[in-house]
Amino acid sequence: MRTGIIDSANLNGGQQLAVKYFSVAVVLFLAQMLFGLAAAIQFVRPDFLYNVLDFSVNRMVHINAMVVWMLYGFVGAVYWLLEEESGTRIVGLGLGNLAFWVLTAAVAVVVVVYLLVQTGPGNDLTRWFVNEGREYLEAPRWADLGIVAVLGVFFYNVAATFSKGRWSGIAGVLTLDLVALAGLYCAGMFYLTNITADQYWWWWVIHLWVEATWEVLVGCIMAWGLMHMLGVRRRIVETWLYIEVALMFGSGILGLGHHYFWIGTPDYWFSIGGFFSALEPIPLVAMVVHSVYDAGVHKFKNGNHPALAWIIAHTFGNFLGAGVWGFMHTLPQINLYTHGTQWTASHGHLAFFGAYATINIAFFYIAMQTWRGNIWLGGGLAGGGWKWKWALALLNLGVIGMTVALLIAGYEQSFIERAVEGSTWGGYFAAQQHPWFQQAMAWRLVFGVVTLAGVLLLVWDLLTIGVGEMRRAPQLAAEAG
Amino acid sequence: MIEPVDPEDLRLVFVAAAAIVVGGAGYAGLFAWARLKNRRRWLAGAYVCYAALAAAVLLLARTAHLNGAWQGVVVLMLVGYLLAPHGIWHLCAASHRLERSSRAPPGD
Repeated sequence: MRTGIIDSANLNGGQQLAVKYFSVAVVLFLAQMLFGLAAAIQFVRPDFLYNVLDFSVNRMVHINAMVVWMLYGFVGAVYWLLEEESGTRIVGLGLGNLAFWVLTAAVAVVVVVYLLVQTGPGNDLTRWFVNEGREYLEAPRWADLGIVAVLGVFFYNVAATFSKGRWSGIAGVLTLDLVALAGLYCAGMFYLTNITADQYWWWWVIHLWVEATWEVLVGCIMAWGLMHMLGVRRRIVETWLYIEVALMFGSGILGLGHHYFWIGTPDYWFSIGGFFSALEPIPLVAMVVHSVYDAGVHKFKNGNHPALAWIIAHTFGNFLGAGVWGFMHTLPQINLYTHGTQWTASHGHLAFFGAYATINIAFFYIAMQTWRGNIWLGGGLAGGGWKWKWALALLNLGVIGMTVALLIAGYEQSFIERAVEGSTWGGYFAAQQHPWFQQAMAWRLVFGVVTLAGVLLLVWDLLTIGVGEMRRAPQLAAEAG
Repeated sequence: MIEPVDPEDLRLVFVAAAAIVVGGAGYAGLFAWARLKNRRRWLAGAYVCYAALAAAVLLLARTAHLNGAWQGVVVLMLVGYLLAPHGIWHLCAASHRLERSSRAPPGD
């Protein structure tokens, strides 16, 4: 094993495929930032790139890039742990590699089509080849089918590898979760002329991916990461994984109701959505107790400080973004005013960053550590590790700044547009022109630039961290206990 | 079915809802720390956080008009936040007892 330089000989087959997914994830993360920044500029200067790159397209690519880079990160993380967790070589690696290239080519084609065809009719042809028209799931039908096929290959790689090697609690939960991940996506492909019925199924993909299957996927990845990084025993992480799955599914599945408040579904969804949304912060409170317990009982000794720091950022970000920001506007009595305002964007920015971006970034650092020959990434890094520390600080400051700015804009919209003006067009424009809204959008842009600076520094750090480092990381899993 | 929040109460509703989750985290964190270090003072702090949470729940119930069946949500929050940290603590202690009694190598 060669240390201090990037050498794919240091990786197993699954990990070599994983770093391909991670590499594209980082590129898409950058794309998400750039398109988001362009959209943020358009809030302040509406004529910016007018008729060249319209706001609707910017926003769509910004959000789609986010969804796709996070999926690339999750898929990469699963391929990363697959051989170690199963104790055998990956089954169907060639097919997995083919699926990666097919998916990446499809993503590139879809983005190019989005950028080239920004307006036009909505008919069968455009639905199949240009844009399906469902918010956040705009990919045309051909790409939808491709995504399900690629997820099918991914599922085959995972299930067949565990079947050939050994099953574990993590393996079982992960495999079942992948069935839900691929299966639920199909719900977003129905074409229904009734908008209420259409939205009903559309939310199955959006909500049940983000607040159920993704959470469980991250739970599996995190469980493996904690064993790998901190030497936590399998029995403990698997016990907690089961508890987390029970809590997440118990509150998350019917928490779906909070999206059904205003789409024309029956009134009972108010009670179901309100009740289960009130339950949704409970897993986060459980996480607080467990974190305090572990911090007190175990010492956070590990050889990868950047990854650990990002996992800690995940804990806080998930709690604040999903828990506090979510519950602030989730009951229907409140949501009546906030639904679809910048309040939602504020919650979305902090929750996606806190719950998902952080864990993917932690895995990027785990990957770089092994890729360079399982080197030491703890204390005493070259330059005191200033790049990863500043990247962490800038990214968190930038996202929290955007979140607060959007919260102010959302509050102003809820109050003026919804509560005072009663959701009229006049109210909409009055809210858009209010100084609080406009100043908040200017601040959002400022913090967007801070976030971009953080991402650029993060990429630089990922490319250079551990260069020439000859110290090896300790084998915590073998030493603990 | 639902009675919307009065516009003049919007800010109160948001603050109360945020305070519930933050109070819940404060209660859970201080509770776990007090049990870990066996310090009664921290436990008192935990219950002060819970009292703040309860006050926020009642404020939310009043301002968001959580009447009738919606009072079930109020009871759920008051009971759920009170008991959840106790239950999770017991699960933590039990799972780590297993760790101490187990001689199997980690990761197995």
